[in-house]
Amino acid sequence: MPTPASGTPPRALRWAVAGSVIVMIAAGGLFYYASQLAAAKRKVHNNEVTVTIHPHSCEPNALTVPAGFNSFRIVNASERAVEWEILDGVLVVEERENIAPGLSQVINATLAPGDYAITCGLLSNPRGTLHVTPTAESEARANARPSMVAFIGPLSEFRVYLSSQGSALIKAVDALSQAIAADDLVQAQALYIPAREAYQRLAPAAQRLAELDNAINARADYFEKREQDPGFTGFHRLEYGLFDQRSTQGLIPVAQQLQANAIQLKQQLLAQSLPPEQLVSIVARTLHNLADTRANSGEEERYSHIDLSGFAANLEVARKVVDLLRPLLARKNADLLHSIDSASTSLEAELNGLKTAQGYRTYDTVSSEQRQQISNKAKVLADALDGIDPALGLSGL
Amino acid sequence: MKKTPLALFLALGLLHTPLPVLAATAPLDLVQPVSDYKIYVTEQLDELASNTQKFTDAVKKGDLATAKKLYAPTRVYYESIEPIAELFSDLDASIDSRVDDHEKGVTAPDFTGFHRIEYSLFSENSTQGLDQLADGLNKDVKDLQARVAGLTFPPEKVVGGAAALMEEVAATKISGEEDRYSHTDLYDFQGNVDGAKKIFDLFRTQIEQNDKAFAAKVDKNFATVNKILAKYKTADGGFETYDKVKENDRKALVGPVNTLAEDLSTLRGKLGLN
Repeated sequence: MPTPASGTPPRALRWAVAGSVIVMIAAGGLFYYASQLAAAKRKVHNNEVTVTIHPHSCEPNALTVPAGFNSFRIVNASERAVEWEILDGVLVVEERENIAPGLSQVINATLAPGDYAITCGLLSNPRGTLHVTPTAESEARANARPSMVAFIGPLSEFRVYLSSQGSALIKAVDALSQAIAADDLVQAQALYIPAREAYQRLAPAAQRLAELDNAINARADYFEKREQDPGFTGFHRLEYGLFDQRSTQGLIPVAQQLQANAIQLKQQLLAQSLPPEQLVSIVARTLHNLADTRANSGEEERYSHIDLSGFAANLEVARKVVDLLRPLLARKNADLLHSIDSASTSLEAELNGLKTAQGYRTYDTVSSEQRQQISNKAKVLADALDGIDPALGLSGL
Repeated sequence: MKKTPLALFLALGLLHTPLPVLAATAPLDLVQPVSDYKIYVTEQLDELASNTQKFTDAVKKGDLATAKKLYAPTRVYYESIEPIAELFSDLDASIDSRVDDHEKGVTAPDFTGFHRIEYSLFSENSTQGLDQLADGLNKDVKDLQARVAGLTFPPEKVVGGAAALMEEVAATKISGEEDRYSHTDLYDFQGNVDGAKKIFDLFRTQIEQNDKAFAAKVDKNFATVNKILAKYKTADGGFETYDKVKENDRKALVGPVNTLAEDLSTLRGKLGLN
């Protein structure tokens, strides 16, 4: 350890070294920052397209740009504050409103290849065209596996669907419960159907919640004493009372519990996070189950025989998922999308063939050959849905 | 070796260097707020549709006083969800275009919607000849409802909507040009601000994870704007006309509104949606 007398010069030196190191780091950082800034500016400037809005037209009014990031400098040479928009059909891709007369504004847009329309100032002015040409990068992007970000939209939309169908279930079960409380057997039998349809639209997602779903949907087979078991509750307990016993006796507490469980179900479905691969696998599983078991056995609604409306509701939610993934599928595997669509049309036609003016036929009047047809068509659709995961690379996300 | 002042100094220097990479938001964490936003927009549109029905009923009955009274509180639902509503360019033009957007001004046959009806009610003090415009507005609003129901909300438009709303305030509300005949701009002003705050609140958890100080600053500016707007609230829950707004309040709004527009425009980047 240095003595105080000899310690002063090295300490000063250390401070000087420290100071110069800091200055060097700072200078290096500033240089890096400045060069990045300059590069960014160059990049923007390189791609910038200038469009001038005149009172009755835009110049140029037909643009061609490469796909990817583009900047448009919009110069307003008209007398009014106007807007400039890029449209895909009627949908706005990017826009800038209220560009003041004599001034200009820059619109940045990341564009996919294709043809767009542009609005130009006054609504009555002729629309322009924007042709976006593919680039090596945009082609590579189109062929690449979709990223997780691409699924935020579809998954959000499915959560909105769960919310609205959850509300529909709550409402339908409330109405059913009221009819039971009023001891109106005919009305309760009629209201059992829409309540089940609402449930069957949620079934693929609800089945992830094992315990709650059992309380809502378990059949008598799952209980030791079957129909007589005190643990047998939920929809099928009501069904047993209304259609087999033809009585509302003892059903009021069961209906009330189902009301509470329907509220729970909606809450829990909205609280669950659903990864993209499960969005597809849950609807595929429901259709496989329909094909393998329910279509032939008619076991699901064994007292009321309203199975067909439930099958149709299962198909509806599967179609919802397909529609949400349609843009991604069309891009990645149009053939698969085509097979899915034709399989779902075919299953729908089969079910529609069993419809009368009063609604679907009761399942006890559906022959075993017809049941086999439903099973076969559900299987074709379920198998096609299984192709979505590999096509979009869902499991690898 | 003992810790030297140099080591200490360098360590401190390093600590002061801003960390370049902040914890990124996981894309799946955005599903809940984006879907909650759609649920909010759907509810606002239900209100818009039922209120538009009442408003146009009054117009068609020739009840000028009621029609005038309902004009602003009906529009406010449109203003709060503009980031989504204005994605549909054709309906945005037929529902909400202003006279400036039309070459022939008020006589342009395609000048329809709220502002065309506003012109007759407030500038001409008349409900004459508005039947077709009233029916058209109702039809367009229902069409908008159906289209929004079928739209998968683009996450970047939802998040970007907060800034878009505040830019709209900066561009058209502070100047008082939006509702130039009725001077009911403050309703729209509040609608835009509420719509922007809704988006910010829905993504609050993710934003705060990313940058707590930023969230606090945005909150403070929203509070400032809302406090000034609150001064002009009337007993019936509405607002004074815009000409009553004092010059110093107009000036006091400019700063926080512009800062909000600027700050909120960074949300897309902050949430990994650029």
